[in-house]
Amino acid sequence: MTAPVSTSPALLEGRNLRKTYRLGRRNTVEALRGVDVSIGPGEMVAIMGPSGSGKSTLMHILGLLHSPDLNHGPRPELRFDGRDATALSEAERTRIRARQIGFVFQDFNLVPTLTALENVMLASEYAGTSGPQARMAALRALNQVGLMQRAGHRPPELSGGEQQRVAIARALVNEPALVLADEPTGNLDSSRSQEVLALLRELNGRSGQTVVLVTHDPEVGAACDRVIRMLDGQVR
Amino acid sequence: MRILRNLARRKLRTGLTVMGVTIGIWALVVFGSMANRITAMVDNGAAYFDSGVVAVWGGGGSAPQSNPLDIAVGDRIAQIPGVDAVVPSVQLNLTEDPTGMTMSLPPMITAEPAGANQDRSTMHIEPAEGRLLTPEDEGMNVTVLGSDIALQYGKHAGDTFTMRGQDFLVVGVLRQTLTQPDIAAMVPLSTGQQLYVSTLPSLVRGDLEPSSVVTGFAVYPAPGADPEAIAAAIEALDPELGTMGPDDFDRLAGSYADMLNAVLVGIGLISVVIGGLSTINTMAMSVAERTREIGIKRAIGASRLRIVREFVTESAVIGLIGGSIGLGLGALAVALANEAGRSSGTILFELTPGTALTAVLFSTLLGALAGFVPAVHAARLDPVAALRYE
Repeated sequence: MTAPVSTSPALLEGRNLRKTYRLGRRNTVEALRGVDVSIGPGEMVAIMGPSGSGKSTLMHILGLLHSPDLNHGPRPELRFDGRDATALSEAERTRIRARQIGFVFQDFNLVPTLTALENVMLASEYAGTSGPQARMAALRALNQVGLMQRAGHRPPELSGGEQQRVAIARALVNEPALVLADEPTGNLDSSRSQEVLALLRELNGRSGQTVVLVTHDPEVGAACDRVIRMLDGQVR
Repeated sequence: MRILRNLARRKLRTGLTVMGVTIGIWALVVFGSMANRITAMVDNGAAYFDSGVVAVWGGGGSAPQSNPLDIAVGDRIAQIPGVDAVVPSVQLNLTEDPTGMTMSLPPMITAEPAGANQDRSTMHIEPAEGRLLTPEDEGMNVTVLGSDIALQYGKHAGDTFTMRGQDFLVVGVLRQTLTQPDIAAMVPLSTGQQLYVSTLPSLVRGDLEPSSVVTGFAVYPAPGADPEAIAAAIEALDPELGTMGPDDFDRLAGSYADMLNAVLVGIGLISVVIGGLSTINTMAMSVAERTREIGIKRAIGASRLRIVREFVTESAVIGLIGGSIGLGLGALAVALANEAGRSSGTILFELTPGTALTAVLFSTLLGALAGFVPAVHAARLDPVAALRYE
């Protein structure tokens, strides 16, 4: 249990986070067994741990993709930017995801039929920005990741490193308070990994975005401000 | 643009679905046009009878027949209170052995005193070529042809037309009315009487005086008189007389037409439903195939409504494209069939703007509806599970 170092109120604050998945009638998996976590604004934090330790589940809960279990154990608390996130409706959580959280995934997860520009615009449109402004914002974000020239290309025409940079541009286009990255370098060779990591570090330093990333890679962990280590559904 | 690109991702499947909708809408357009035509025929007939006219013929029964009647019967009908005028007429089949599609009436030779139906009948006729008959034509072998007959036999004003073994000078051709006059060859009454008597078997003919023989009367009620009461009075006059008033016509023609229309539109609708089912199938496949993409979109902030809208719009576009092509091919089929049928006098289809518009709107709506269930399913997917979907 690591106490937050930050003096300002935490951006993300979780208490008693539990998650049990029911795979069959008798077969349940306790992915999280009561996790407390606090992440301050501007921090760059790595969540590390072996497979099955619950790090992805924790990230999905922090990213408001899933809710913590409410019906067993001590009552969970989850505060995002001061709001009680456990009480939010699906529509409200979707809205926060669109406007205040950016996601980067291990396998990039770009829409294959859309160009790099359109992929980035999509996130901007979901946040409520209209056509021409969404295009401008998307071009700025692509410029930030150094891919302005590749804006018209579709994902299959881009290298893995380029695709991940497009995904980062998509995560940044709405200037979210929080960027969540699930194994962002997991599918990249070491030099591309360095590039992507440097990019995330730079954005964190330049615009003060909070970055939380899940990783296996000790080098990535070492590049972060803090590491949260997980084992068997608990923070070690 | 994005929608079209998504549809173009699976060209074969989208193509087949569009084809399914196309066939459905094609059937709807073709059968709908046929129903339009039947409705037009019945409506024009109803408009004729709406003037209150009562048709009278000999031999009883519920449908007009060509039995000989004494013209003097007309004088007795004229005595009935409320009768304004009685116009004698002769009707006989154009050919001895009438053949034609059961849906259309056989071509007829009709004879009335010239001008009798000019100011009475609501069936408005006017010449496309030449002129109408005049009282001076009485006793002459002249005829004015309905538009379908003229086309079928390729006759124009000035040509000679042989009917029932006699040569007639065509003095005029009528404009199309979409109903009975189109398949009528009009002749002066006295000419019609002679022609009619000459077709009777010699045993029946005996010493009949042609000028005293008719096959029916058109009875016009005075303003305010009840045509049904007059029809009843005529039938009471002589049980051998058959009558048809406005109510009878509506009952007879209306019920047949309604039934036929229901069958035709039903066939069209079944085809459309099949097209709709194949759209549902395509959209369901598309949702399954794009599960991961839906997960991505939901994760980065697409609302459920947005996902629903995206898929519903896609399937509505399938409906719109299929509907438009179906309408185009249907219009072509109707035009070709009418062109082919024109020579034999059977025009079976009428494509109205209303039918065309309905077909396209309907297919678009159907497409949207077909996409709705798969779209809701897509929107409800758990984003995390959808992201992991391979």
